[in-house]
Amino acid sequence: MSSLQLTDFSDRFPPMLVKELRQGLRAKTFIGVFLALQIFLAVMLFSASAASNSDQVGGIVSGVLFGFFAIAVIVVQPLRGTNALAAEIKGQTIDMMVLTRLSAWRIVFGKWFAIVSQSALLLSAIIPYLILRYFLGGMNLVGEIVFLFLLFLTSMGITAVTVGLSGCTSVIVRSLLPVIGLPFLAYILLMLSFSGAMGGGNSLIEICALDSTESRIGVLCYILAIIYLSYSLLSMGASLIAPAAENHSAVRRLLALALLAATAFSGFFELLDEAPTIILICLIAIPAVIIALVESGPLVQTVRRPFEKFGPPGKLLGHFLYPTWSSGVFFAVILTILAIISIFGHGLLIPGSTTMLRDFFSSSDADDKVIVFAIAGGFFFPALWQMIFFRGEGQRVANYLLILTGSYVLLGVLSALTNAMESSIFLLFFAWNPLVFLPIMDEGSFRDSTLLVAILFIVSLTFLALLLGAIRHAGSQHIGIDESEPTPPQAD
Amino acid sequence: MSALKVSNLYRTFGKLKAVNGVSFEIPHGAVCGFVGANGAGKTTTMRIIASLDYPTLGKAEVCGINVVHHPAEVRKLIGWMPDHFGNYEHMTVLEYLDFYARALGYKGAERRQRIEEVMDFTDLGPLASRFSNKLSKGMTQRLGLGRALLHDPQVLIMDEPAAGLDPKARVELKHLIRVLAEEGKTIFISSHILSELGEMCDSLLFINEGRIVHHGDAESLKTGSDAVGGLLYDVQVEGDPQAVSDWCVLQPNVEFLETRKQGGRIRIQSDETGAAADVLARMIKDHLRVTEYHREQRNLEDAFIDILGRLDQGQPAVPPPLPTPPSNN
Repeated sequence: MSSLQLTDFSDRFPPMLVKELRQGLRAKTFIGVFLALQIFLAVMLFSASAASNSDQVGGIVSGVLFGFFAIAVIVVQPLRGTNALAAEIKGQTIDMMVLTRLSAWRIVFGKWFAIVSQSALLLSAIIPYLILRYFLGGMNLVGEIVFLFLLFLTSMGITAVTVGLSGCTSVIVRSLLPVIGLPFLAYILLMLSFSGAMGGGNSLIEICALDSTESRIGVLCYILAIIYLSYSLLSMGASLIAPAAENHSAVRRLLALALLAATAFSGFFELLDEAPTIILICLIAIPAVIIALVESGPLVQTVRRPFEKFGPPGKLLGHFLYPTWSSGVFFAVILTILAIISIFGHGLLIPGSTTMLRDFFSSSDADDKVIVFAIAGGFFFPALWQMIFFRGEGQRVANYLLILTGSYVLLGVLSALTNAMESSIFLLFFAWNPLVFLPIMDEGSFRDSTLLVAILFIVSLTFLALLLGAIRHAGSQHIGIDESEPTPPQAD
Repeated sequence: MSALKVSNLYRTFGKLKAVNGVSFEIPHGAVCGFVGANGAGKTTTMRIIASLDYPTLGKAEVCGINVVHHPAEVRKLIGWMPDHFGNYEHMTVLEYLDFYARALGYKGAERRQRIEEVMDFTDLGPLASRFSNKLSKGMTQRLGLGRALLHDPQVLIMDEPAAGLDPKARVELKHLIRVLAEEGKTIFISSHILSELGEMCDSLLFINEGRIVHHGDAESLKTGSDAVGGLLYDVQVEGDPQAVSDWCVLQPNVEFLETRKQGGRIRIQSDETGAAADVLARMIKDHLRVTEYHREQRNLEDAFIDILGRLDQGQPAVPPPLPTPPSNN
């Protein structure tokens, strides 16, 4: 039976990676992209080497090289992840995987890592061309290498988004990703890399040269943000396919809280400037809140037990860390409140420093506060709609994302109408959606302080309704699964 | 301790009660058939036992281990074969089994040995280098069985394994299940094809609308006290076959069961063989041109229909306890 032995991958490789690489390296998409990239780059470099003004040509070569590499790793490769988990769910193969020793996290991580490994193969394939391009002159060596690395890192992040969301079985949601998100992203990256290559002012390549402290902090923050976002999305994917006994939410939520606390601490002591603090808080809080609001797991004793060991404090903590919808709502509300305090409390612990938190209801900076509350409320509004109109546990992610998308489409339409029409009083009819306060404020018919009170009222109402729903849901979960000595429910 | 024990199991999806208070036990080494119409709750019950779903209420145990509390331990004990599973693109049969063996924690020589053993058992050796998504249904089922057996589970849960198989593949699968049963594995198998289950299983569980409506072994279902009385006869006539059913409507104690080629199947509500002669005499007297008239054995389909019929008439279904199978150990 020696002919039956497989020697392509060592035992040390994770099973999911072995499986995905065996399949992925034979996939037409990967082979096509790999060969096309090689042929294109070879032809381009051959043509460029014959050109007379090599310094200028070098810049153009870099731009084109990065542009096509970006399309390959930021558009094509992540697209392969959009069906990664959905195909396993549809084919019922996910059940068979779950029955092995593979945890939901290892399944999702393996899927992601396999696509990223193939992107790394593409990266290694363009390195010889980069070396050749060096001899054309005009190369910002550190800048271009760091930029290439960041492109690859971005690819890892977007792949995590597509793989994580691929656990959502809704075809509409998975189609929205490539149809809307990826071409938009590719366009931005192409524009940025081309403008950089053509010698545009403060280009990305120049930032990537890490000449200043700001650029070094910026790149470091970007790397950390991508790692955090990738982890969050992959962990969400794991939650979507995990059996009832696995709790992936607790670690994810605790990590978000820890990162938010660290950022808030830096902000309170002015260790970080206000703008990067706000950006970091948004990067940490937004994915954590969205993921918490779409949780739909059941509450089984295996999940409850580790918390119940610590008595009433443990039980209370559990209500924020269980992988259930109600716990997700409790956590999301708390995290949002903490994030808002962190945003407005910059410099709070520096004596003599003025903060927006200290004079919250004064008219100064009321517009900033309206924007923050409108955006924060905008993430809770779809959860409220979902609670009212889509009561089932299934398709929670899909429903939320579709309502959120619809909400932003409505915002776009209303903004356009406001610009086109003289009167904007009609906007008040849509003020139940916190996002609509953005065009209302932009239009300027109302005082900012009045709008601040109004948005606080709407957001508080949204929070209250969600919390009431969540309390009711949490109560029903306590009688949900009782595996001890069940009393059968009344027959119809 | 039972191999499988299910107590007061409920599973609801919204307002739908997919499983509605199911309780049963299956002893070690038994082969138990799970019978029910589409949507009766078979797959949901099996998925809960396999730790792939969770109960709304109630408890399921495999070898005494709670499937909700300790899914990882349960998974070491069970082999799960779903009714349908998609195969992977660009992956050969050998690579497929290699992946699952790796995922189950087997390494090096031990992994190769396990793969060889299941390939020998399921006769997949000649197909080793064929892409798994290019296999026929029968071959796919053998591959699925091979995968389910990789970790040598004590309990095998098979959901409609024979669905869509051609007769040859069905015979092969039946043979493999028999061999596994002889090795002492507990097998819990669902199927629509009752005659096959009757041949393979020590006992049968009938489920209807999420409730267990009958336990019993195949023989007692055909002949025992659970059987609805009466004599079953196949009647073939010359001319219009409809005449048989029309005639039955007018007869007391004669029930028309199903239409066949030139007549149909009837039940005579009497246990005396003389009654059959009387019925034949009446048919001839009423000018039915009978060309064939012979007695048939009551089969499992009849038993199933009888049980459902009794439920329709409002008679409570009180399942008797499962018989203990002869121990293989």
